Amino acid sequence: MSSKPKIGVYICHCGINIAKTVDVEELTKYAVKLPNVRVASDYSYMCSEPGQLMIREDIRKNGLNRVVVASCSPRMHELTFRKALVEAGLNPYYLEIANIREHCSWVHKDKQEATAKAKKLLQAAVAKVRFLEPLQEKEVDVGAAALVIGGGIAGIQASLDIANAGFKIYLVEKTPSIGGRMSQLDKTFPTLDCSACILTPKMVDAASHPNITLLTYSQVESITGYVGNFQVKVRKKARYVDFNKCTGCGLCAEECLLADRVKSEFNMGIGNRSAIYLPFPQAVPAKYSIDPHSCLFLTRGKCGKAPKCVEACPAGAVDFEQKDEIVEFKTGTVIVATGFDVFDAARKPEYGYSDYDNVLTGLEMERLISSSGPTGGKLVLGKGDGEYVPKEIAFIKCVGSRDKSTGNEYCSRVCCMYTAKLAHLVKDKLPEANVRIYYMDVRAFGKGFEEFYDRVRREGVRYIRGNPSEIFKRNGKLVIMVEDTLTGKPLEDEVDMVVLGVGLEPRRDAREVIDLLRLSQSSDRFFLEAHPKLAPVDTAIEGVYLAGCAQGPKDIPDTVAQAKGAASSALVLLSSGKVKVQAQISWVNEPNCRGCGYCVEICPYTAIELVLVNLMGHQVNVARVNGVLCKGCGACVAGCLSGSVQQKSFMDSQILPQIAALGGKL
Amino acid sequence: MPDFDKLRALAKETISRDDIKYLIGWRQGTYGYRTSPHFVRIPEDADQLIFSPLCSSNLATYLALAEKRPVPRGSQPDTRKVAILVKGCDSRAVVQQLVEQGIKREAVYVIGCPCEGVVDLRKLEEKYPHTLDRVGARWENGNVSLDLPSGNAVFPREEIVAGKCLTCRYPNPVIADVTLGENVEVSGSTAFEDINRFEVKSAQERWTFWRDKFNSCIRCYACRNVCPMCYCAECILDKQNPAWIQRSVNISENTAFQLARAFHLAGRCIECGECERVCPVEIPLSYLNRKLVKEVTEQFAFTPGVDPEAKPLLVGYRPNDKGDFIL
Amino acid sequence: MSENFEPNVVAFLCNWCSYAGADLAGTSRIEYPSNLNVIRVMCSGRVNPMFVVNALQQGADGVLVSGCHPGDCHYMEGNFLARRRVALMRELLNFVGVDERRFNMSWVSASEGAKWRDVVKGVVDNLHEVGAFTEFPRKKIDW
Repeated sequence: MSSKPKIGVYICHCGINIAKTVDVEELTKYAVKLPNVRVASDYSYMCSEPGQLMIREDIRKNGLNRVVVASCSPRMHELTFRKALVEAGLNPYYLEIANIREHCSWVHKDKQEATAKAKKLLQAAVAKVRFLEPLQEKEVDVGAAALVIGGGIAGIQASLDIANAGFKIYLVEKTPSIGGRMSQLDKTFPTLDCSACILTPKMVDAASHPNITLLTYSQVESITGYVGNFQVKVRKKARYVDFNKCTGCGLCAEECLLADRVKSEFNMGIGNRSAIYLPFPQAVPAKYSIDPHSCLFLTRGKCGKAPKCVEACPAGAVDFEQKDEIVEFKTGTVIVATGFDVFDAARKPEYGYSDYDNVLTGLEMERLISSSGPTGGKLVLGKGDGEYVPKEIAFIKCVGSRDKSTGNEYCSRVCCMYTAKLAHLVKDKLPEANVRIYYMDVRAFGKGFEEFYDRVRREGVRYIRGNPSEIFKRNGKLVIMVEDTLTGKPLEDEVDMVVLGVGLEPRRDAREVIDLLRLSQSSDRFFLEAHPKLAPVDTAIEGVYLAGCAQGPKDIPDTVAQAKGAASSALVLLSSGKVKVQAQISWVNEPNCRGCGYCVEICPYTAIELVLVNLMGHQVNVARVNGVLCKGCGACVAGCLSGSVQQKSFMDSQILPQIAALGGKL
Repeated sequence: MPDFDKLRALAKETISRDDIKYLIGWRQGTYGYRTSPHFVRIPEDADQLIFSPLCSSNLATYLALAEKRPVPRGSQPDTRKVAILVKGCDSRAVVQQLVEQGIKREAVYVIGCPCEGVVDLRKLEEKYPHTLDRVGARWENGNVSLDLPSGNAVFPREEIVAGKCLTCRYPNPVIADVTLGENVEVSGSTAFEDINRFEVKSAQERWTFWRDKFNSCIRCYACRNVCPMCYCAECILDKQNPAWIQRSVNISENTAFQLARAFHLAGRCIECGECERVCPVEIPLSYLNRKLVKEVTEQFAFTPGVDPEAKPLLVGYRPNDKGDFIL
Repeated sequence: MSENFEPNVVAFLCNWCSYAGADLAGTSRIEYPSNLNVIRVMCSGRVNPMFVVNALQQGADGVLVSGCHPGDCHYMEGNFLARRRVALMRELLNFVGVDERRFNMSWVSASEGAKWRDVVKGVVDNLHEVGAFTEFPRKKIDW
């Protein structure tokens, strides 16, 4: 293929988009005179079928072996024209695009200037295209399994979809049970389905699915490899309860010396549990585990005469000798569904969350109002004799969202509706209660949301536009200081209870996941998708996908939809069993490599390693690129002192002529 | 400064070891003040070894550039160590080569020679031109004592040593398996006064200065060939496809060559000054290098060639690296 | 400097941010001087600082390297690597008397079409002041 370049140049008018400011006729005349150019033509729309046909016919007729298209940005139609080359039997990488629309005709007004610039850009493309080399798009096999990190609704849904398609799933969950945040919710907006009722069947499905290996109370320790071939190491933390023997009867928890004395994470600290516990009654798997941070025997080495749980267990499942276990397996793809944390209301001290028991967060309210919650669904505050039923209840929205002072500029998308839902539930339980919601805006954007918002207002919930400045206690009542911004009047609102509509935040342990996979974060600190619009479930790392709130705040339907999207992206790889590898990657001219390892250190994808090769009987180090891992950034090339590392299609020998063509006079 | 007997005894002992291939040191040159690299392969060779203020050359160049002759089929390559005498600056070259994996630690046996400075032959030639008889030299109480044909002459250090020695921060070897003699006092600093003085000149003045220097460059490549950090099998600047630098000798190519050479040493130059010493047209090359040494020191608090475990400067970054020039 | 001197600028733009930002300037019809021509690379980390010296030799009066903002690099850290290299090459060029306004670097994101215009305008305006590069251009430029 190293025969002399025979270049065809094709100049697009793009209707009048280019032709209006660039003299395409003159450009075409100029192009013919450039070195190695055989034909130059212009056409109204090169990307159209007749335009492409022109290229294909010229390639066949004139034996062209290089093509330059002067048109819109290569980010627009590079692929289109590559396909045209392939159809004409030419390697698709024998193409160079001169961007004379976005970088020329659209940004300059003077026709002479624009035409002169277009000539230069075209000249540079011709200079480069002569030195382009044919590239092959390789494929690698994809292992027929997927790792799903996070067992919330996103992880469960993605796992079920992939498993139903016939592929193996490893579903890793950090806590003892799958279910995630959704399992903590009482009802879901706007349909008021019981959250547990719609979630629990899916949890059971996931646990019993023959294709799903559930690894609860486990954490991913390391992920190495690349798309199609990830090696995963998972730490199964010791439960101190034999998983196979435990029947989930709960006798151990009843007997535990700390029974009802350890704060329950599931109930957001409102209710208590034992040191040996099931996070919640419908937990899956229904296996008890011992909390090593509170268990007396594990923390102090002593628990009464002998641990009561051991005696109580009829199956003899309690095992204090149990150790963490490392499980290793291979997968072809990874789905990150690690969810969110709720905003820590203590970071808005003016709302008194840390000071007053009757200031709750939305999630705490969910547990308080849930019939499976610590009060059995009775909306009461205080304990024992101090127990009382609140009459005046206020909600405050946008706590920790849309708030630069907390560093969270984004809208959490669920608070408008969950406060409306909670307000409805309050009115349902306490029809006499006065409920008001302090808001900045009401964003009822989803299906059925606006209707629900209307319904809640009809039920007597008052919406007051204002962002409270302070909450303090006076005569045993909470006083909300706020300005009603619709009337402009300052208010002092005395209430019995405040519910803070706290927003969603990236998980505080997100760093662990970032380090595992080298994920990026967007400015809101959620994981960054590959493209905000066109690749919202993909990441910069091939074969790794995002699902649910790990990528950004979402409600349940959006989370499920994204999980299904991530599953479908993963399935594209899994079901084809192959993945195309970047062609424009780096490679090393080994005989010239001095083995200094600069490129190895520079590569952010660990795609380069030093290998020992035999050089006339001597063992010497040279760098070698793993073509699957290389993403084609070229940072190694610029760092190579000997010029031994080069990036295909962006080689020094291809860029230097471009520079000359741009620098030289016309 | 060790006496030659001690040096030669150590060399004999070293070369007699089974795991040493050869030893690289210095010997008296053929005339005048010259000294030459000396390869000791048998104990008798050691009798010619010297170490004096005239031993300027950085022998570390020979480590990475050592010719690897084809190993005949069926036989094993000679993997014994190379023993090498190093001054402070030379030892930094060894360390930097270790960092860049040009050599392996187990392949080299480092004999450290604490150094009070080496004589700048140009300064000496000015005082005593055309000296053909061999001249011996030694350090005496901080002064350089020379046995000239006309008799003994003693010079204060400041008057006679190379510029790089006056600012030297590492007169004592930073790596050594064995050290000859006592460590000497460190007097250099990172003030970069010379560079600062030049920087305050106008761009016009600076270019005029360098234009004259680069114009005189004959592209003999001695600066590159002597540099212990330049050890690519084929220099990128020699390549014709693509030709980064054209072969013609003119201000454009000369400047580009010198800029490339200096830039390739960014974060790697260990300030041995060999490039400047060997330049036949006296381009102040270490001046160019020192500019980058200054930037590397001040912007990145980085010193190459002191820590064999260090990561090279230009393979990494800090998120808070200086970026005030960025638009 | 002659009245009608128009500087010639060669720019290296990363595919993901700056090139896309320049594309956006186009789709938004944001007008800017036509003196700057772009070479697309995948990442600013690909830009060998010697490209800059080469561009000056080959007839450019100024050079621009533009990448993603810190933290936005499509390849995670290419722009950081580029920043170090550029910082040192700028100092070196400046030291030998090349006006530092000839060698520019910018962060332009895919959404900063207007910033791209400002960068181009700024670079070109500066070069009008600095004038043609006469220090060490090649006599004859071949490609």
